[in-house]
Amino acid sequence: MADRQTIDARGAFCPGPLMELIAALKLAQLGDEVEVLSSDKGSVTDIPAWVNKVGHTYVGTVEHDGYWSVVIKKAK
Amino acid sequence: MASKPLFIMLCSGEHEKIQLAAMVASVAAVSDRPVEVFVSMNAVLAFERGKTAAERYHGGHFHELFKTAKVPDAVELFEQGKLLGEMKVWACSMVLDLKHWECDTHLTEGLFDGPLGLAKFLSDAEAGELITF
Repeated sequence: MADRQTIDARGAFCPGPLMELIAALKLAQLGDEVEVLSSDKGSVTDIPAWVNKVGHTYVGTVEHDGYWSVVIKKAK
Repeated sequence: MASKPLFIMLCSGEHEKIQLAAMVASVAAVSDRPVEVFVSMNAVLAFERGKTAAERYHGGHFHELFKTAKVPDAVELFEQGKLLGEMKVWACSMVLDLKHWECDTHLTEGLFDGPLGLAKFLSDAEAGELITF
């Protein structure tokens, strides 16, 4: 069964949240989901763009009070 | 289709330019784009082995903001780019000669792939896009 892990990158500036996501995806299994919590507004567009470029699956983004939750599924 | 390699010539010692070069290099490398970085002139001084972050970087307005905010360290971004993507980092052989430095003993450990001449870098850069900081 696929796992989901959460990375709390709130407070980190660009490209910190993206780099933390990529490091987590390296260690994840195929089908696992990684949720990134980020207060960096650029992550909202940067992470889906990166996911589209490299071939993982973008699951979605939820806005919270002062930060965003971006979820990615490892697809390769 | 494979992305064109990105060639970055980093010659400024300003923190802001080193930071942006590190951001561009690391993000491109982890986005399946091969990256080669040629470090020359005052930029080399930021990579002197044993320097603390406070000693390494000098700059203006944003340098001051970087120091107080949780901004990723530029040298660590280059290291992450190498670890997670395809990136080579070269030190300008002329600058090393002038400083009487060797990559293996005077520059950030494990980051540099070696010394390189400008002509070789420019020749290689014909295969991709070249940007300068």
